[in-house]
Amino acid sequence: MALDLRMRALAHAVAVLAAVALAVFGLMRASPVDPVAAYLGPAMAQASPEQMARIAESWGLDRPAPERFARWAGQVLRGDLGWSTTYAAPVGQVLGERLGASALLAGLAWALSGVLGFALGLVAAMARDRWPDRVIRLWCYVLAATPTFWLGMVMIALFAVGLGWAPVCCAGPIGVPSDQAGLADRLRHLALPLTALTLFGVAQIALHTRIKAIEILQSDPVTLARLQGAGPGDILWRHVARNAALPGVTVLFASLGEIIGGAILAEQVFAWPGLGRATIEAGMRGDVALLLAIAMLTAVVVVAANLAADRLAPALDPRQRAR
Amino acid sequence: MRLALALTALLAPLPAAAAPDLVLAIGGEPETGFDPIRGWGTYGNPLFQSTLLRRDADLATQPDLAEDWQLSEDRLVWTVTLREGVRFSDGSPLTARDAAFTFMTAKQVPDSLDLSAMDRAEALDDRTLRITLNRPWITFTETFYTLGIVPEASYGPGYGRAPVGSGPYSLVSWSEGEQLIVRRNEAYHGQMPQFEQITFLFTGADTGLAAAQAGQAHLVAVPAQLAGRVPQGFRPVVAQTVDNRGLSMPADAPVTSDPAIRQALNLGLDRALIAEVALEGHGTPAFGPADGLPWAGPDDLLEHDAQAAMAVLDRAGWLPGPDGIRARDGLRAAIALNYPAGDPTRQALAEVTAELARPLGIQVTPKGGSWDAIQRVMHDEPVVFGFGSHSPYQLYTLYSSAVARTGWMNPGGYASAEVDAVFARAQAAESMEAAAPIWAEAAAHYGVHGDNAWVWLVNLDHVYLAHDCLDLGATQIEPHGHGWPVTATLADWRWTCG
Repeated sequence: MALDLRMRALAHAVAVLAAVALAVFGLMRASPVDPVAAYLGPAMAQASPEQMARIAESWGLDRPAPERFARWAGQVLRGDLGWSTTYAAPVGQVLGERLGASALLAGLAWALSGVLGFALGLVAAMARDRWPDRVIRLWCYVLAATPTFWLGMVMIALFAVGLGWAPVCCAGPIGVPSDQAGLADRLRHLALPLTALTLFGVAQIALHTRIKAIEILQSDPVTLARLQGAGPGDILWRHVARNAALPGVTVLFASLGEIIGGAILAEQVFAWPGLGRATIEAGMRGDVALLLAIAMLTAVVVVAANLAADRLAPALDPRQRAR
Repeated sequence: MRLALALTALLAPLPAAAAPDLVLAIGGEPETGFDPIRGWGTYGNPLFQSTLLRRDADLATQPDLAEDWQLSEDRLVWTVTLREGVRFSDGSPLTARDAAFTFMTAKQVPDSLDLSAMDRAEALDDRTLRITLNRPWITFTETFYTLGIVPEASYGPGYGRAPVGSGPYSLVSWSEGEQLIVRRNEAYHGQMPQFEQITFLFTGADTGLAAAQAGQAHLVAVPAQLAGRVPQGFRPVVAQTVDNRGLSMPADAPVTSDPAIRQALNLGLDRALIAEVALEGHGTPAFGPADGLPWAGPDDLLEHDAQAAMAVLDRAGWLPGPDGIRARDGLRAAIALNYPAGDPTRQALAEVTAELARPLGIQVTPKGGSWDAIQRVMHDEPVVFGFGSHSPYQLYTLYSSAVARTGWMNPGGYASAEVDAVFARAQAAESMEAAAPIWAEAAAHYGVHGDNAWVWLVNLDHVYLAHDCLDLGATQIEPHGHGWPVTATLADWRWTCG
């Protein structure tokens, strides 16, 4: 029974991935970008049509679209992600060089925004309609409406240029090879982008947690506990936190996709050497193989996160376990 | 701290060592890596590799790897003698075999370099390179200035990310999208640059400017519109350019095919005013695609004269209608002017052009679109194009009938037997220097005193913010593309503070 469910979840995930791949490929086909012209850039003005045809042929662009997609799918199934025309390198290599930095930034921001958002949500709920609640809510509404890249630019202007507390860019000090940067330097360079991305992620989780926590605070068991003389700490810990954790975790996992999207923009602003620039270049230059790989990777992460949320729910909520 | 200072002073007694490690934010990160065979170095300077020849600040030819270079009487065979004792940064010797390998590979790999004029390249011995062309083609020499020589023994996939060359610098580390760190190649055969380590920030203009404001960068390329925002301790350096913008005039379209219309636009548009309004003063009037270069037409200049422009139109029978727009035989003097919608500079140029053309009686309608949309109409409608290169081959791609409407070359389809004849003579010249005045003759036919084939408007200023202590010396007349070309004269840069 459990095995059957797992197989179905897996089949579902594979179907989602296939749909994402087809959609991305279709969108790239429909895009007006001519990959060869985008690749040549200014050199295009002196390129002969024969030369452009030779480049297109060497990339397989002269083949019909279904054939190209089939060839790509076959390659991927054999573990070869294809060739990035933008970077003139295998896609696997391009991803490998950038994935770590992105995972570090997005992963930390995700975890921090979860912890922070949950705590703020609980505080707001307990202090409902008093000043802490109002401050947190206002903060969350403002943040929820703030694009990460703009937040990043404001933070650079304020903390890096204005106050000189933080570096203006990059994952390590300027002029120091990345493998020679010390841990302290790395953390200093991580601080600003991580803060921007965490602030961006906090709002949703805090607001969701708050609503759920208020609902729980008004429920019969909590009223009963209060009548029996339970203190606020007791109520918070025994009833609210435990029961609000479930929607919190679900929202947290569901928000992973948004954090990844935000990370791409934040990376661009802070010159963080992750997948951000690669994603944008791949889209602008019609680099199908690279964009497909990034889209698939993101889809895998998001699907996995949702599966994980589904499996975590029973662990947190005994009522679901019984079913 | 004091001990460290004393030690530094002891270890570095030479005055040259006072120069700090430079940090440049001038953009120009090549996504495909630093592989000359994939087009690295075509703009400006391959940095890690040496070329056969190079151009100094006045664009005069200087030897680099080549010691001697001869073109045969029939203009088909180049014999190049290489300098002795040059080594790649990995210590291996650079021979004519490496040069021949570089040229042959660049011909075979389908990429941005077009070496179709070359038949073959071969090494006669360690120091002699022979290149055989399949037609007299003097602009092939352009590759002598731009194609960095790679080592045959270690060239392969991945070269672009770990280049081995014989240039003034070698790569220390490259974090893509972030920074490139290079160190002086102490075995370099040419003039040794003063700066031991240079970091190139590839973070975009905003971050570069922020880095300068925070005191972390020494040279920043900025959009001309930001030239006024100079951080403390910096000064603007403006490089003259042939980074031009001009209007194509399709030769077979109803209105632009008329010589009177083209002449009237060239005469009647006030270029100084256009530079003032559209570029906020950060540009100069352009009359041809190569202003100030040896192959530009020396007389290709005009005094702005709206009255004369209108007289030309009157004489040609273009008479003003009730709305002020001229017409002839029922055909209105109305044209659409295309520009890439993502480029605010070209949009401003299109709009200012429209305003200035109206009083002449010509209706210009700016039309923004993607390059792909422009590509579909560029043979029939004017476009705000931008060119500019250090090679007279640019003239060939703009005016030769042989490439009319081929890809993005000569998009207006201009064709002139006189120009073609001049170009053929220029291509058959004995050297780039000898060819230059021949190329220049063609302007009498295509230029503002001839067919008015294009309406060139402005050359953009390239603005850099330089640290007060950094002396760039003389800058070259820069080509299209802002940033990397400024490094062509890196060996002349000086740190002027103690």
